[in-house]
Amino acid sequence: MKVSDAATPSANQSQPGKTALRPLDIVSRGWSWLFLLLLIIFFSITGQGFLNIFNFQTIGADMSLVLIMALGQTFVILSGGIDLSVGFVMGMASVASALVMSRIGGSAPLLVVVLAGLTVGLGVGLIPGLVNGLVIARLRVPPFIVTLGMYGIARGAGFILSGGQPVSVQTNGIGQIGNGYLLYLLPDGRLSFFHLPSNLQGVRPSQIVQLLPFPLILLVIVVLICAWLLSQTRFGRHTYAVGGSEEASRRAGIPVARHTILIYMLSALLASLAGVLYTMRFSNGAADVGDPLLLTSIAAVIIGGASLFGGEGTVLGTVIGALIIAIIQNGLIFLGINPFWQFIAVGAVIILAVLVDQAKKQLVERS
Amino acid sequence: MEDTELGNKSLSRREFLAGTAAVLAGGSLLAACGGSTSTPGSSSTNYTFVLIQGVKGDPFYVTMQKGAQAMADKLGVKLLVDGPAQFSATLQAPIVDAYIAKKVDVMIIAACDKQAMIAPLQRANDAGIKVISVDTFIGNGDYTSGPVTFPLSYIGSDNVQGGMIAGQALIKSIGNKGGIYIENVTPGISTTDQRQQGCEQAIKATNGAVTLVGSNYDNDSAATASQQVSALLSSSKGTKVNGIFGTNLFSAEGSAQAVKNANKQGQIKIANFDAPQQAIVDLNNGVVDLVIAQKPSDMGSTAVQYGVYALTGKTSSIHKRVATGYVVIDKTNVNDPASQAAIYKSS
Repeated sequence: MKVSDAATPSANQSQPGKTALRPLDIVSRGWSWLFLLLLIIFFSITGQGFLNIFNFQTIGADMSLVLIMALGQTFVILSGGIDLSVGFVMGMASVASALVMSRIGGSAPLLVVVLAGLTVGLGVGLIPGLVNGLVIARLRVPPFIVTLGMYGIARGAGFILSGGQPVSVQTNGIGQIGNGYLLYLLPDGRLSFFHLPSNLQGVRPSQIVQLLPFPLILLVIVVLICAWLLSQTRFGRHTYAVGGSEEASRRAGIPVARHTILIYMLSALLASLAGVLYTMRFSNGAADVGDPLLLTSIAAVIIGGASLFGGEGTVLGTVIGALIIAIIQNGLIFLGINPFWQFIAVGAVIILAVLVDQAKKQLVERS
Repeated sequence: MEDTELGNKSLSRREFLAGTAAVLAGGSLLAACGGSTSTPGSSSTNYTFVLIQGVKGDPFYVTMQKGAQAMADKLGVKLLVDGPAQFSATLQAPIVDAYIAKKVDVMIIAACDKQAMIAPLQRANDAGIKVISVDTFIGNGDYTSGPVTFPLSYIGSDNVQGGMIAGQALIKSIGNKGGIYIENVTPGISTTDQRQQGCEQAIKATNGAVTLVGSNYDNDSAATASQQVSALLSSSKGTKVNGIFGTNLFSAEGSAQAVKNANKQGQIKIANFDAPQQAIVDLNNGVVDLVIAQKPSDMGSTAVQYGVYALTGKTSSIHKRVATGYVVIDKTNVNDPASQAAIYKSS
């Protein structure tokens, strides 16, 4: 059966059968958009209350951690590498920023506390990224091995920094930033930016319309920066080139080693940003907060159409990939389905994504 | 040649379409499952409750779910059950958010982190959802005068009391004299630390008749626990040990394995905290001698009861803290209905 099936496409190949392949062509190019749209339609019909702006902005805020991590991973995978350390780099950064914010919180202005937490969190997180890049680029150790080693080192360092306990941040205002909204619409028609007015007697919290959560705004900014970096700059072009062929890139005069180091630093930087965001949103930092997100972030990149062999993928693809996972996770709750099914659904989508990718390549080869 | 290469490397269009169809069929199967599980029973009210477990599929939480479901059926409310795949606040928070969007009336939750889950649950409370803690708490667990007071109640075991009950039962089984060793999990886990603390208090109360030989941490690994206890038994301290308290299943099982290897089974008594079915199998096989069961089923049923009280204005019947108590199971009472009811069910 399989042999005869496999023989069919070559029969097509001899004909100029382009028109016959058109539908599949469309499906393969826009399939992830189409799939996302189908998912939203499906859950809107079957899950009562799913189709709601507040649910969607919640999905956006909740997916911010995993998508920020996945954006860094996109650059790494595009360059033909993989970064397994990001989960624990995120945890380490969250611990570092929580330590700083809880130490100086209360004695310094809020802005200083946030900036200090951010600077230290990102700074500490950059170290494993730099080491990853140096060992991979200069000592020629495979990325899988290096970042697996760093996975353990960052995990241990995070636990040592935190003393094995979650580091709690009690500073007023930190949780407000991580959980706040840009816009509050009060029941009497008043608008308030950034925070709620203090004179709110007789207003129940559920009567206030909250719009644009801060994590979602941060996420959009980071996505735009990454999309610009990848599609509009030399850094982005070099990333594709290195992923396509390292040897050809070197001959073309691209500083491959330096570029590789920068990519792993970018990945660690974004993972650390997710860690600092976690600390602000959950008012604590712990070494293991990012670990459950690692594989989801890689899955988002793959569903988004990136090739694990490098050279292919886009920021927008990763955004769609993360959205598909987040919508499945959220939608299944509205259907009341056992959460174990999430794994099966996301797993099936990953395989489907690669199947479509292969079918697409087959089309390109033929035309 | 070209044909075979194509056949190996990539799928034919037909296979691709078949695969797509299979995935879509799987999707509709999922939908079908959803339709059947979310069908509510005959409810006299329109209240919807959700029980969010600390981790999905753990027998402790499955037993809690059974207790909650029984009470929900009795009171005619609809109960949904959910939980993260790992015991992690990172994964639990989006679930809380989804149920806020789903507009449930009552959220019963075993929070994965006492600090990190405050903000998500505050959002639930702000949306008008009644929040009840089961098994674990947020803030410091004092919902009357602590830093977090919005949850209606914290319904869970008192682990210091549990450790003391375990210690007392173990002391009795070794004849009220001798030495006890404590095999603990990881420093920093509030529940297991409190169990050790309670056991130490029970030992102290014997005024020197029973002594604490030592304690160690096994990182929730039976293999590590076994190594540690083996080393202890072959050391000079080994002869002083008459009883071992394992603060969870793996700690007790690992200790029991080491005792068995040293041919001291029966001479050294072992108490196991928590009562999944494996612990009862161990008890029947003589691997452990005592099993201290929490009452997750009571946690679930009381929480649902409290939710209905809150929705119907009977707030005076709600206590801010409910300690659900323990059942001590040994070979003599393992078949009693009370003991059987206390064993955690895995499905």
